[in-house]
Amino acid sequence: MSSMTIGGSQLDASWFLILGAILFTIGAAGVLVRRNPLVILICIELMLNAVNLTLIVFSRQLQNIEGQLFALMSMTVAAAEAVVGLAILVDIFHVRDVEDIDELSELKG
Amino acid sequence: MISFREPIRSVLSLVVVMLALSVLFLLLSAQFVFVVQIIVYAGAVMVLFLFVIALFGPARELARTRLRFQSWLSVLFVLALLGLIWAMLQGIQYRQPEPTDLAFFGTVQSIAVGLFTTYLYPFELTSILLLVAAIGAIYLSRRQDQDI
Repeated sequence: MSSMTIGGSQLDASWFLILGAILFTIGAAGVLVRRNPLVILICIELMLNAVNLTLIVFSRQLQNIEGQLFALMSMTVAAAEAVVGLAILVDIFHVRDVEDIDELSELKG
Repeated sequence: MISFREPIRSVLSLVVVMLALSVLFLLLSAQFVFVVQIIVYAGAVMVLFLFVIALFGPARELARTRLRFQSWLSVLFVLALLGLIWAMLQGIQYRQPEPTDLAFFGTVQSIAVGLFTTYLYPFELTSILLLVAAIGAIYLSRRQDQDI
């Protein structure tokens, strides 16, 4: 494993990557286990954040700015996704109270 | 974070996670991404989630599920996923970077140079994406007013 100097002290880059992996799997577990559509959206945000962390770690490790640029792009995409997803959820919640995502398994209007 | 029954607690703990992640970004000399993370994520997106939860009340989650074995299956799947990522992390070969000036790395200036020269086209595409998302959100909420 490779280390990098941060603030005068040596830090191993793999710890950041392991943290990103753990955060990503927590988000995936939330998407799979939880039933509330709102919480599923929150867990997707968590997964996107974990990927951003990984991108920035590699950007710092390779000292290449493109990882940070890609993280910014993915933040934009995540914001757009949250806006559209929440708008759809609000639209659905107006029609009926959804407590379980499985209640929305049909595509009838 | 994912074990809370009420969504509001999940949102508030996600805010804490995002603030902690932003401090890690600062540690990794990504100052601009740090500021954007705090403003956009912990500020805008999370306030949006809080608004939606406040609008529809604390919808508690029912404990019963239609598929009993689903949670066990998902735990198994998630553990397999974690093992896969772990195995991939073990095989990383780091290469030595060409040394750059770390005082310049990650500042607004260096990000802007990359964003407006090499990656100008994707940057303009994200503006179109944001416009489409805004129009879509407005359309989705406008149609509801006409129904009422």
